[in-house]
Amino acid sequence: MSAPGTPVRAPRGRAHRGVMGIFSYVDDAEAAIRALRQAGHRDLSVFSPVPYHELEQAQEQKPSLVRWVCLAGGIAGLTGGFTLCIWSVLQWPLVTGGKELVSLPPFVIIAYESMILLGGLFNLLGMLLLARLPQRANPAPYDPRFSEDRIGVWIPGTGEAVKRAGALLEGHGADEVMLHA
Amino acid sequence: MSNTALPPGAAQAAGVRAAAEERRVITQRSLNDDILRLIDRPGPVWIAAFALDLVVLLIGALALRNEIVLGLGVGGWTRPVMWASYITNFVFWVGIAHCGTLVSAILFLFRSHFRRAVYRVAEAMTVFGVLTAGIFPLIHVGRPWFGYWLFPYPSQRQLWPNFRSPLEWDVFAVTTYLTLSSVFFVVGLIPDVAAARDRAKNPVLRTLYTVMSFGWTGGNGQWRHFYGAYLYFAALCTPLVLSVHSVVSWDFAMSQNAGWHNTIFAPYFVAGAIFSGVAFVINLLIVMRKVFRLEHLVTLDHMEKLSKLVLLTSTIVGYSYLSEFFMAWYGPSNAERDVFLFRYFGHFWWASWIMFTCNVILPLSLWFKPVRRNMAVLFVLMLFVNVGMWFERFVIIVTSLARPFEPYAWGVNYRLSWTEAAVTAGAFAWFFMFFLVFVKVLPAFSIAELKETLPVPKRRQP
Repeated sequence: MSAPGTPVRAPRGRAHRGVMGIFSYVDDAEAAIRALRQAGHRDLSVFSPVPYHELEQAQEQKPSLVRWVCLAGGIAGLTGGFTLCIWSVLQWPLVTGGKELVSLPPFVIIAYESMILLGGLFNLLGMLLLARLPQRANPAPYDPRFSEDRIGVWIPGTGEAVKRAGALLEGHGADEVMLHA
Repeated sequence: MSNTALPPGAAQAAGVRAAAEERRVITQRSLNDDILRLIDRPGPVWIAAFALDLVVLLIGALALRNEIVLGLGVGGWTRPVMWASYITNFVFWVGIAHCGTLVSAILFLFRSHFRRAVYRVAEAMTVFGVLTAGIFPLIHVGRPWFGYWLFPYPSQRQLWPNFRSPLEWDVFAVTTYLTLSSVFFVVGLIPDVAAARDRAKNPVLRTLYTVMSFGWTGGNGQWRHFYGAYLYFAALCTPLVLSVHSVVSWDFAMSQNAGWHNTIFAPYFVAGAIFSGVAFVINLLIVMRKVFRLEHLVTLDHMEKLSKLVLLTSTIVGYSYLSEFFMAWYGPSNAERDVFLFRYFGHFWWASWIMFTCNVILPLSLWFKPVRRNMAVLFVLMLFVNVGMWFERFVIIVTSLARPFEPYAWGVNYRLSWTEAAVTAGAFAWFFMFFLVFVKVLPAFSIAELKETLPVPKRRQP
């Protein structure tokens, strides 16, 4: 099903093992996720073309930690900007117009822009690290329909538990259930 | 008003066709089809447009080569007008760039959902606009190969830039803006590029999309951190966009020149930037929705909302023009009064009245709904707005410099040289070169965000 060039490869040395259910409807997928979590499947992965609140709530997702990384970047930029200005004028003291060397009002602008720059770059890095991007190998088999209009629910594992999970997916209205043994 | 040039029957038929086009049923899959079909082998129209663009760019590049080899003297500026068309172009293009961040960040924070259909084009315009703007200070400094002197870096002589100078603030503001708007643009593209990757047949494009999508699969963890970060990008870009044009305005306002030394410059410039940027994106969208038949995605309602933004900012800009004039008349400075009289009734009166007519008088027609919803009229009107906004910067820069405190220099007036005209045209070609490639290579509309406007697919509808 998967097109060439898509990150469908399993991690090196391992094949994908588990069961994938493909859904057309969000409420079916939501009910399946709740049932699977109740049955003890906590490490399931969900794929969708857009983020659905219903699926986030079913997985009890917490807010992303990326905001703290962004805050750290902002603080680093603000202090870094002021430090650069103050340190550089003290390095080469050149008094102009009898004014203070450390003149904070103009330095606020440099510090402000640096705060936004580093805040944004840390935000980017935080997102990439937390979302584990770039991703070369996918821990679940990817289907190109996930970027169109289908929702995928993947339960990793082997044996009877996965077979039962497959039956559960089917019972909750999955269009297709594929076992990867 | 909208179809007065057509016979009544044809107008009705055109209206029915447009309405039917807008009512087309849109599904998640059809959105992928509609937007990804734009990424296709270029047709003859695109190739002709690109070839013409490259010819203009070549002419601009030759003029620039002339200027670098022969020196800045080939430009038309002379004392006292030492900032002329290049700084006009710089401020114009930074202004054009502002619309993207307004639409993608500010309207995101305000949860204005109409932005979803138009923000990608506006964001691309931002990135390419800043890339175009950045050329001009480099040309203007005369020796562009020393451009890196503008940045703080440790050197053997322990020299640092003057952080008290508004020009150095500009370096920080514009480079931060270029960096963050590019990051925001590329991050926003990730889910859509992944959708393009899943369908790409051309191996070169597939490799490009695989790299640009960072291996995106739409997993739950990916979406969570993606939107977590996206919110903060928007939150950071909002104060950034307001600061960038404020800082650009302080390049002027921090000096003592009459006509520049004004406290209203920051909000006046920001409003002007949004005004011209939105007008420019309306022009681009009108052409794109027509050429690619996307009237059902970028609807008349979207265009009407954007034109209301133009109307709002036009009134702010008009108020600024009048209050500047009022303060010159009411204030104590004879020089200020003289500059404003010179501006509207002196040597450059024609430029000032082009500015006032295009930016204040013509946009008043946007109070009327039929004008806002007639794409041909709107297109021409927005072209006038952009001409007016280019002249606004020209008027602010050139008339104030041509009327300095020293009356001895008053007789010398600036004339645009052929070199400057060619470089100005080349800048437009530079911008459109990027834009034409963008339209053919990347998803020009946000597939993922447009899907969010559709009803959630549920078996049991409430």
